[in-house]
Amino acid sequence: RQSIQQMYDLTRYLEHQLHTLAATYLNYLGPPFNEPDFDPPRIIGAKAVPSATVDIQEWHSLNDNARLAANYQAYSYLLRYLRTMDRATPAALPTLHHSLAHFSASLQGLLGSIGGIMASLGYSLPTPEPSVVPQIDPPTFLRKMDDFWLLKELQTWLWRSAKDFNRLRKRVPPSAVMLHLESRGF
Amino acid sequence: AQRPSQQETHIHYAQLGTDVTLLCGSVDQDAAVTWTANSTDLDASHLNGSRLVLRNVDLSHSGQYTCYEGPSWHVKYRVNLRVGLPPKEPIVMCRSNNYPNGFYCSWHLPSPTYINDTFNITVVHDSKEIVCKKEMPPKNRCYIQFLQVFSTKKYKVTLTASNPLGSSSTTISFDEFAIVKPDPPENVVAKPVPNNARRLLVSWQYPSSWPDPDSFPLKFFLRYRPLIIDQWQHVELSDGTSHIITDAYAGKEYIIQVAAKDNDIGTWSDWSVAVHATPWTEEPKHLTTEAQGAETTTASTSAFVVPPTTRLSDSDVTDR
Amino acid sequence: CGYILPEAPVVLPFGSNFTAFCILNDHCSSNVKIHANQIIWKTKNVLVPKEQYHVINQTVSSVTFNDISMLPSPLTCNVLVAGTIEQNIYGIEIQLGFPPEKPKNLSCIVIQTQPNRFIQTCTWELGRDTFLNTNYSLKSKWPDGTLHHCIPQKTKNVCNSSTVVFFVYLEVWVEAKNELGEVESDHIAFDPLYRVKPLPPSNLSVNSGELPTVLKLTWINRLDKQPLVLKYKIRYKTVDSTSWTEVPPEDTDSQRTSFTIQELKPYTKYVFQLRCAINFAQIEYRGNEYEGYWSDWSEEVVG
Repeated sequence: RQSIQQMYDLTRYLEHQLHTLAATYLNYLGPPFNEPDFDPPRIIGAKAVPSATVDIQEWHSLNDNARLAANYQAYSYLLRYLRTMDRATPAALPTLHHSLAHFSASLQGLLGSIGGIMASLGYSLPTPEPSVVPQIDPPTFLRKMDDFWLLKELQTWLWRSAKDFNRLRKRVPPSAVMLHLESRGF
Repeated sequence: AQRPSQQETHIHYAQLGTDVTLLCGSVDQDAAVTWTANSTDLDASHLNGSRLVLRNVDLSHSGQYTCYEGPSWHVKYRVNLRVGLPPKEPIVMCRSNNYPNGFYCSWHLPSPTYINDTFNITVVHDSKEIVCKKEMPPKNRCYIQFLQVFSTKKYKVTLTASNPLGSSSTTISFDEFAIVKPDPPENVVAKPVPNNARRLLVSWQYPSSWPDPDSFPLKFFLRYRPLIIDQWQHVELSDGTSHIITDAYAGKEYIIQVAAKDNDIGTWSDWSVAVHATPWTEEPKHLTTEAQGAETTTASTSAFVVPPTTRLSDSDVTDR
Repeated sequence: CGYILPEAPVVLPFGSNFTAFCILNDHCSSNVKIHANQIIWKTKNVLVPKEQYHVINQTVSSVTFNDISMLPSPLTCNVLVAGTIEQNIYGIEIQLGFPPEKPKNLSCIVIQTQPNRFIQTCTWELGRDTFLNTNYSLKSKWPDGTLHHCIPQKTKNVCNSSTVVFFVYLEVWVEAKNELGEVESDHIAFDPLYRVKPLPPSNLSVNSGELPTVLKLTWINRLDKQPLVLKYKIRYKTVDSTSWTEVPPEDTDSQRTSFTIQELKPYTKYVFQLRCAINFAQIEYRGNEYEGYWSDWSEEVVG
């Protein structure tokens, strides 16, 4: 099975899901976070969020391992942070809770897929950087700013990953990627 | 009056609707002078001593004014009066139709100033100023190359329009992903499907301006309707550059257009040039459409592409 | 005065053999002068035949049951004091049952309940009744080893999960466990996307076009997240007819929000219905003939 294809499809599916989730979450944070032109400075917490921005020549020249590793590293961090957002969300917002929980689960699925494909291509998994993930504290303005940047960076990473995995699925033959998955009774 | 030799021409700018006083160079206030406007003598009622006073000037006042000093009536002073307006806040729009190579910014003034304006544009991204290569006038446009991609930092573009009567500037900021808008798909072709009275095969190509379809695939939006009906039908296609319309009205001529969008970001292109086609019908049908050049006599109706003369306005493509 | 070994609760498989020992403690055997041969075994107040007794020594008597098919509880150890007064020494509860059978026919379906909500429901067959308290749990695992658990709520052979992740292979199996054993069902592996039963399109409406024999159906898709692509089945009949006519599926196998139906009887009222399914052939799984689940039929609309 073309599991890079599935990883690509999952990325595009998450991209779509995040549009809705981010809008809901930013509305929960309220103004100015949900205003289209809001462009806050990126301070301490948000600086830790791995940036998807890359020099265009460098991006074109990334080999498959580097390309996958960058994604793996980013989502390892982003997923940890996203879970703190889920836990910090008040229980009185069940719909937002469910959306965050479901998205986190899907993002974990993506992380697992990236890791699985790296393993099947013979690449070693990057060791997640020991960056500090903010604890669950009351939604101060600074914490909200971090959340804002996290969501924006996550949306950008999904956009980049869609392009990364689109290149991979065209370059890497499916046979090279067969996940060592025994499928019985399918 | 006598017309003496050449004299240096001065330029004087005046705002529409204001009163203008032109001095006759350095002559005394009470020197005897006469003035002409574009070689037409002006009567003394306009004079205040040696000064020419023009009330509530309008565009027709623009022109060359010459002052002659008596008693020899030689040209003492020549001035070009240009009546106009200071620029209003310019409108600037940036767009990338060849992502990820770069994007261009184009601008215009909301209303004319009637005098020459100059534009200065600065583009800042991630606290760094980026060069915007200007295109030759009269194109109010410049081009910025993407050095980075997948950026979360906004681009800030400041455009200042200025002319001798004043200046005005506009600043916009936008995200990289928001300005990606491909050109419309090209070479749209619609053909009947033999032996099927309700089908039309539509095919198209990526816009040639889109540099890297492999890494940055586009998705497409097709709209079609029979000429006899105003309401379009829409189909969104996640990939591929062809589609079979399966519910065409039998025997009715169709108008078909396609739009494109990056798979992940940005906005839809304008609609492509419209093409026409009629589904296959039993007996040969004689086709008359304005675009049809050569007549075909094959049993099935022929496929043809309208030369790119008809172009739908932007407003037809709403953001999806 | 004494106790029984093995300690309770005792769970025994049907058809097994069982021996229990009643051990008199010192106080009972030496002070009260009771001998193990005075012990009487009962199952729920029914005397156990003496042939099944065996006096091991002065303080220990055993009782044996073979090929147990029924053994009412409790099993009690009693003594006759002064030949007439029966005194109970000890008792244990005994349960008979079966180890769980291997759960069979595990299957899962993903029901769309709202535009953005899916419930994965897995069902399986429990096999024979174990007569014991048997716990079933649905285990699932991703290729990267991440484990998920789902504990059945109401009935033991159904488990619902509201966290459904598409495009990631899920290996699923059932674990059954009781006192007498533990067993796993066969594992099945699938991408939950392949098990989605979508909601039918909504807001179905019909409008007549320029031609009396043509009607245009429009609707809203409730599963329209890229890269998912749908296909449709459309059927229609005149209001007074009972037999439906279906639009050829090959005409409706691409994502759309409208369809024009032709060659209808002019000036006649028709009833329309529509259903949808995920179009796997178009989600880049080329040549994938997988059918997927069709939604229920939409509400009827008359036009």
